[in-house]
Amino acid sequence: MVEIEKQGTPTVLIVSGRFEHDAKASARAFAMPEVRYVVVPWIYRNLDRGRTIQQTEAAFDELAWELTADLGGSSESVKLVPTEVEQFEGADYLDALQIMNREFLNRDWGDGFPLMPATVAEVEKMLRGTNLPPGHIVCDLPPGYGLATVEKIAINSVMAGASPQQMPVIIGALKALSQMEPEWVKSLLTSTSSHASMLLVNGPIAKELDINGKAACMGPGQQNRTNLSIGRAYTLCLKNIGHWYPGQLDMDVLGTVRKFTVCIAENEDDSPWEPYHVEHGFTSGDSVVTVLSTSGEIDVADQGNNTAEGLLKTIAYNCIFSQWDLIRPGRDDKGSAWDTIVLVTPDIARHVKEAGLTKQDAKEFIHELAEYSLGRMIHYYPIKGKILPPEWRWMQEKSEQELHDILMPVRENADHYRLICVGADRAKPIVIPSRPACPESVCVDQYRAT
Amino acid sequence: MEILQVLNPVALQRGVIDAKSVNKRPTTLEGAKVGLLWSGTAMGDVALRRIEEMLQQRFPTAETRFYHGGLPASAEALKQAAAESDVIIGATAD
Repeated sequence: MVEIEKQGTPTVLIVSGRFEHDAKASARAFAMPEVRYVVVPWIYRNLDRGRTIQQTEAAFDELAWELTADLGGSSESVKLVPTEVEQFEGADYLDALQIMNREFLNRDWGDGFPLMPATVAEVEKMLRGTNLPPGHIVCDLPPGYGLATVEKIAINSVMAGASPQQMPVIIGALKALSQMEPEWVKSLLTSTSSHASMLLVNGPIAKELDINGKAACMGPGQQNRTNLSIGRAYTLCLKNIGHWYPGQLDMDVLGTVRKFTVCIAENEDDSPWEPYHVEHGFTSGDSVVTVLSTSGEIDVADQGNNTAEGLLKTIAYNCIFSQWDLIRPGRDDKGSAWDTIVLVTPDIARHVKEAGLTKQDAKEFIHELAEYSLGRMIHYYPIKGKILPPEWRWMQEKSEQELHDILMPVRENADHYRLICVGADRAKPIVIPSRPACPESVCVDQYRAT
Repeated sequence: MEILQVLNPVALQRGVIDAKSVNKRPTTLEGAKVGLLWSGTAMGDVALRRIEEMLQQRFPTAETRFYHGGLPASAEALKQAAAESDVIIGATAD
């Protein structure tokens, strides 16, 4: 609605109760804090027709008023101000630190775990990890479009327990996120679904910083100290710079532990394939961070296949337990824009290589076998009476049983599979349904300290 | 007593710096072209259709038009709705 107001036409939006804070936060993020809305108690999407009509009728007078009442508001411009200092007084240092932690959590400035104090001295040390000056704006960080200055990134990185050497990766990850297609990044960060970012690091910096891409690289533990602090810094930056707070711009129904952002390296040592970043146009000497979008995690366990064909079939059959987006009512998009990420263990990748297959061959093989009942795939999105894109309208002529009997690939084509070699030997890959956020990669060498 | 001083981690938002006001409203909906913008999500259309009926009853000279914006709405759809309407009512169904 803000976009329409910007074109000169007055608007009012119907907002369901739980989304009022989000509506306010979104209006602020999109530079129109006074945008008008009317709140109704229930979320429409799964409401029956009677209640839908009832709550709409009750809102009608207010809607008409919001469209005709001139409140004469005006927005004044705000000037940039220096970073404020927060002061906490305690019986001793530990007491003051605990008070700081309690207060920061009350303001939702943390992730629930203890935060390190971002003192001037610690932030100065962190700033030495990059060649960029403190006032440099890396990006306007979604979803709230806060100004991601190097100083603010450093403050949040100190709070996360990151080291100065990790700054180039943290900066690169935020830059990559900001370069994603705006509508899809909005979906990744603000949707009611439990979507989350995942950071993939390739190239020399992964080894320099000891970013784990081998055994147990996605869990807790000393082997992942770098992975965890980079992921945590990214999360805190999203919150405090991107204004990504639950109930305001982060509208998850359930949430997910993946929002303690997972950061991994590709296991380039044990992979027989060209690394992910080389596949996407970088050189092997470049250090690159990629932001991927995740919508879940399916643990796959192959218990005895020892051929490329057998192992890839196991992956393909597990890829059907993804989410689908074959149709987009009201839009002209064709097919599904969704991706599937597969974290392939080195032993599987070696079998594929030894069978004379390339990574692209493996994607084609998986795509061919990962097909499922169309009726079951589209069940979540009732199509009766909906306007569908032309290529899907034939479905409305079919019975439920006929639709159930049609097998279709779960992804539009083989390029919607992203195979990344990660983990230790033992054919237990992970399949990750991925949102169409168009993963973005950034070379982080440009941010290294000189 | 010990005093701990730390730097504030929260960034200023671009939208706060560049904030704009909403547009001036018409004084009545009589004679107005009212756009009804649906995101394509379930039951949002039912709500907007009911509003359309009520508008026609309460403001007989108002002219209504229904738009499929999609989710996300395309720039073209928003531009068309804005150009053809005096005011717009939107529903995302969330």
